Amino acid sequence: MTESKGLETGQLDPATQFKQLYDQEYLSVFRSIRAVVMDSAAAEDLTQETFVRAYRARHRYTPTAPPGAWLRRIGINLAISHLRRQKLARFLPARLYIAPDRRDYDRAEARNIVGKAMAALSPKLRAAVFLHYYEDMTREEIAAVLGVPAGTVASRIAKAVAIMRKTMASDQELDTTRSSSEGALRGR
Amino acid sequence: MEDKTTEGGSNSPSDSDLTRMIRAEVDTWTPRRGADWTDVLIRIAGTGPSPWLVYTTASAALVVILIAAYLVGTAFQLGALAPPAQVHLH
Repeated sequence: MTESKGLETGQLDPATQFKQLYDQEYLSVFRSIRAVVMDSAAAEDLTQETFVRAYRARHRYTPTAPPGAWLRRIGINLAISHLRRQKLARFLPARLYIAPDRRDYDRAEARNIVGKAMAALSPKLRAAVFLHYYEDMTREEIAAVLGVPAGTVASRIAKAVAIMRKTMASDQELDTTRSSSEGALRGR
Repeated sequence: MEDKTTEGGSNSPSDSDLTRMIRAEVDTWTPRRGADWTDVLIRIAGTGPSPWLVYTTASAALVVILIAAYLVGTAFQLGALAPPAQVHLH
């Protein structure tokens, strides 16, 4: 994980410091949010919103954890709230609720085995998997980012891995069956 | 990207396989527009008071209006807040 010093340096004005932090952490925060929402367009919008919220709350930031972890926490919480709002919006009358057009994204974003396996997880499990396997965080660090006990993180990771392995195995079996039946048809 | 397993059973990827595959997948996630600091500044400048502040102020204003209406109603003996009329039935 990159150690950002953006909010800790005292020489620069707050806007310049924050701009540096934005440039350093943008991609990392985007990927954390993308892992939760599984939608690039929504993730981009939520990433911008994350930095807006962080800027407004910058006085409340205490440098006990790196600013990157603090930003990821804001981003992941925002992403989970976004999904919750979307879920609630489905109960609105059809005329009030306009479902996002995700066909292009779904086609493009779940194109491989890992993408499909991650899509099979719940947002909270995806966040834990992303922080553990991609950001290489320890359980304690993940617990601090997600605001849950380390034991919960461990059980979430174990559950997520079990689901992912199952999904990947069934996907590979399906591919094998498909290729063998195609081979049999070609052989006729 | 190679999604084949190297160890951990015939179809079940090992932990290192999983790490490698997840990293390879996440590395492909790139934003379409990219970082846009100007948009962040516009959003910061354009945002009004936070929703909780609006709701709290509106609720407090409603309570004040209701109490004022009750006091005015009782003081001027308006409508249902007037004392009951003396009705003599013979």
